[in-house]
Amino acid sequence: MLAAQVLINALVLGCLYACIATGFSLVWGVLNVINLIHGSFIVLGAYLAWGLYQSLQISPWYALGIAAPAFFALGYVIQRLILNRVITAPVLVTLTLTFGLDLILNNAMIYYFKADYRKLTLTPPMGSVSLFDVVVPIDRLIATASALALTGVLYLILRRLRVGRAIIAVRLDRDAARLMGVDVNSIYAIAFGLGAALAGCAGVLMALIFPISPLTSTAYLGKAFVVCVLGGLGSVSGALAGGILLALIEGIGSALIGPAHATTLSFALLIVFLIVRPQGLLGRKGFE
Amino acid sequence: MARSRLTSRRLNSLLLAVCFGLSASAALAQDVVKFGAPLPLTGPLAPEAIKQQQGYDLWAEQANKAGGISVGGKKYRVEIVYADYQSNTPRAVQTTEQMITQNNVNFLFGPFGSGATKAGSSVSEKYKVPTIASTASSAQVYDQGYKYLFGTFTPNDTLTTPLTQIVKAKAPDVKKVAILARNDLFPLAIAQEMEKSAKANGLEVVYFEKYAINTLDHSATLSQIKSLAPQWIFVTGYINDLLLVRKQMADQQIKAGVLSMVAGPAYQEFIDAAGASGENITSAAWWHPAAQYSGKDIFGTTANYVKLFREKYKSDPDYAQASASVSGALFQMAIERAGSLDRDKVRDELAKMNEMTFWGPVKFGPTGQIDSLEPPVLQLQGGKAVVLSPALIKQGEFRLGVN
Amino acid sequence: MTRSNLILLALVVGIAALPMVGGSYALRLGTIACMYGILALSWNVVGGLAGYPSFATAAFFGFGAYTAGVLLGKGVPLVVSVPAAGVASFVLACLLGAALLRLRGHYFAIASLSLIEVFRELVNNATDLTGGGMGLNIPLTSTAGVMADATFFFYVMWGLLVGTALMVVVVAGSKLGFGLACIRQNETAANMIGLNTTLYKSVAFGLSAGFVGAAGGVYAAWVHYIDPSDVFDILYSVKPIVMALIGGLGSPLGVLIGAFVYLGLEEVVWRNYIQIHSGVLGILIVVLLLFLPHGLMSLRSQLLAWRPKRV
Repeated sequence: MLAAQVLINALVLGCLYACIATGFSLVWGVLNVINLIHGSFIVLGAYLAWGLYQSLQISPWYALGIAAPAFFALGYVIQRLILNRVITAPVLVTLTLTFGLDLILNNAMIYYFKADYRKLTLTPPMGSVSLFDVVVPIDRLIATASALALTGVLYLILRRLRVGRAIIAVRLDRDAARLMGVDVNSIYAIAFGLGAALAGCAGVLMALIFPISPLTSTAYLGKAFVVCVLGGLGSVSGALAGGILLALIEGIGSALIGPAHATTLSFALLIVFLIVRPQGLLGRKGFE
Repeated sequence: MARSRLTSRRLNSLLLAVCFGLSASAALAQDVVKFGAPLPLTGPLAPEAIKQQQGYDLWAEQANKAGGISVGGKKYRVEIVYADYQSNTPRAVQTTEQMITQNNVNFLFGPFGSGATKAGSSVSEKYKVPTIASTASSAQVYDQGYKYLFGTFTPNDTLTTPLTQIVKAKAPDVKKVAILARNDLFPLAIAQEMEKSAKANGLEVVYFEKYAINTLDHSATLSQIKSLAPQWIFVTGYINDLLLVRKQMADQQIKAGVLSMVAGPAYQEFIDAAGASGENITSAAWWHPAAQYSGKDIFGTTANYVKLFREKYKSDPDYAQASASVSGALFQMAIERAGSLDRDKVRDELAKMNEMTFWGPVKFGPTGQIDSLEPPVLQLQGGKAVVLSPALIKQGEFRLGVN
Repeated sequence: MTRSNLILLALVVGIAALPMVGGSYALRLGTIACMYGILALSWNVVGGLAGYPSFATAAFFGFGAYTAGVLLGKGVPLVVSVPAAGVASFVLACLLGAALLRLRGHYFAIASLSLIEVFRELVNNATDLTGGGMGLNIPLTSTAGVMADATFFFYVMWGLLVGTALMVVVVAGSKLGFGLACIRQNETAANMIGLNTTLYKSVAFGLSAGFVGAAGGVYAAWVHYIDPSDVFDILYSVKPIVMALIGGLGSPLGVLIGAFVYLGLEEVVWRNYIQIHSGVLGILIVVLLLFLPHGLMSLRSQLLAWRPKRV
């Protein structure tokens, strides 16, 4: 029974991890930028959900509808005004730049919200469902379903919409895309906006489950790293596979060798994956 | 020629003015006694730093309202010099040195927590600056033979032993204990003490694990604990960890006879955020606003301290803020008794101290750590923290069962 | 030896005069300045010369700090512990480098970042040896006075900086330096003309880690207390990069100047903006990258380029 419970826990948690990582993966894949503000975006999204629920009684489900456009705009502007100036610079520069931006955003949040922890507690609490002694909390189930729906929406955008196909085209070969008449700069900005929107929405969902504080941003970012590398870059299904794999490793690892080693295990695995299979679980070679 | 004489006269008067100004400011400076408080105002420990700051500020405000600290018939205004060490221990050491050599503080408060306090104390000891550590509990901080370091927290085992004894007396069915600890200085140290207390009282520790500092999810760990069916679950960590663990316990429908969390229920934020799920959680802390001591310090009774705190901050103080305030009050008593700002004399007064305060009886042992205090055991009942022990300030009876 | 390398050495030697003029706080700053110099110069070997975006500095700094810390705790004297930390870091980095440096660009950056996490958690969980999350107390090495102690550690750190500067100068003038430059410009081509790129990169990675590890060791002895979240702080990885960017990538003199300028800025910001200093640091980074992408050294070359036009 313990095994079944651990498995179910991991599946649910894995979908949440996937939700944390999709936006990060998209930005990395399309813009070739490792976006270190991602974690702080998620936390900001969580604060948004908390603030809306606390002051206006707006439920987090509706908050998603507010977070998505707001974060899209934020991301779009940041890309247009700041990132775009160094988009062709080497990794070092873009990475350090997003680190600097993250310091600013995180410090602003600490300054404004203070560093103490908030908790979005729905009244009444949603409780859990149990089946043969395996228990699943309902709020997690709903968050998981929403996370899956979000990634589904992204998948549809990328596959069906014109702008989505342009994003994929830029990701595969930016010069060819440019020659085909794609406005690469605006695609970059849209992709970064989408990444930010996904982070914001992920934050809204995480607010239901985890305590909220600017200090959690590095934990989210760490998960996004690992999920992304495990699953393969820039692909939606890859993020899902990576998320579930990570949650399984952590769950089984903490049951077998103790929770303190679970993080070590996940990062060690990340390094092994980078060396042995840099394209990730589902990625194809040559897509990097 | 005339012009140059004029210039030189001007220069003279200027010099005179400067000298006068200097001496005036020197006279002013003499009327101030400076306390240095290195705090982790940013970084992971920031919430703790704010509590410390509130405690110090409240004391400084009260002391200055009464005209200041009187030293040999003269009143000295209290000034507290704050600096941020970014939750980074080496920075704390650097800040401590900076305060002594650059800001010329007379006395020091320790930085936050046992690790930073121990690190910082090597500097203050070198310069022979009396330091009161308001948040360092580990006995290892005080065993270095330092003469200028004093602490207001009793050792960690004084928290876990009374808790274990109450559980053993009131809940004889409790046989198996599961301990889950944050892998961090204080939470890990207190968990290790808990393990010892449990074993000493004949309980079986069926689970003892650490979790990493940035852990986002405890579901796997809790599932495992559930499968072991302990009657007592003991979790340590900071407020965010404890809230998350409590929520996930409820999610997984884990029930236990006793659930202890250190130091959650001692904090009002925890009580607020946990809501109904906090009911019957036990904890222990060095102080609680429900305590009723009648002290000789500037705050007098515990009730008066709580009242003043509420007026200033619109919230209830917890042990962290109270410890900061009492540290200031103790300095004040020692300075007034020494009748001097001489560091060695004040140090001797602190070492001799044996006095009741709003914080409880204060007497520092030979190592400098307080040894007179009996920390209260608490339980959340009806959304409020109730003191179960010591008998002197007891408010209610232990209740079994956490859902 | 180029003129800028001569200036570099002169600058390093000049710092040695600090104890004659400064008090103990100045010495503490001077020690940190030397430490930052070591980190930045070391990073420059792999980051600037070979062009690999390494974020592993903090990993080896912490590794060195703990190696020396544990040894010192067991009663091994400083003169043995610190070199041991340096050598251990060098060997470990060479081995890891052989595997990790196959990765390029983002993949290498992520892998080197992850090293910090792995090392930190390993140290965190080896409670018996390292004290885990409770930190490690390192016995005081001397019972001399405040100034004597401060001066001693300043000179130890300074000596290490001299060593690092010499290493950098030697590397730059050697076949290794030439090889690294080839790798930076076109690794595939370098490979084709028969350069053993894996060896070169591993040695570069090892050299940059060795001095950082030794600096970590000195640091541990100096502050008497370390804990995993302090010494495996990602900022130890980012700061050297920012310093290098301030000074100008690749030029050792620029990097060292960058380190000192950075320390100065950090002091000013830290003293004046208690609540928002990390934000101010962030703004500094962003502004620097957007408006001065080639560092302070580029200003000089701009001036040089500008002068002949007037003639």
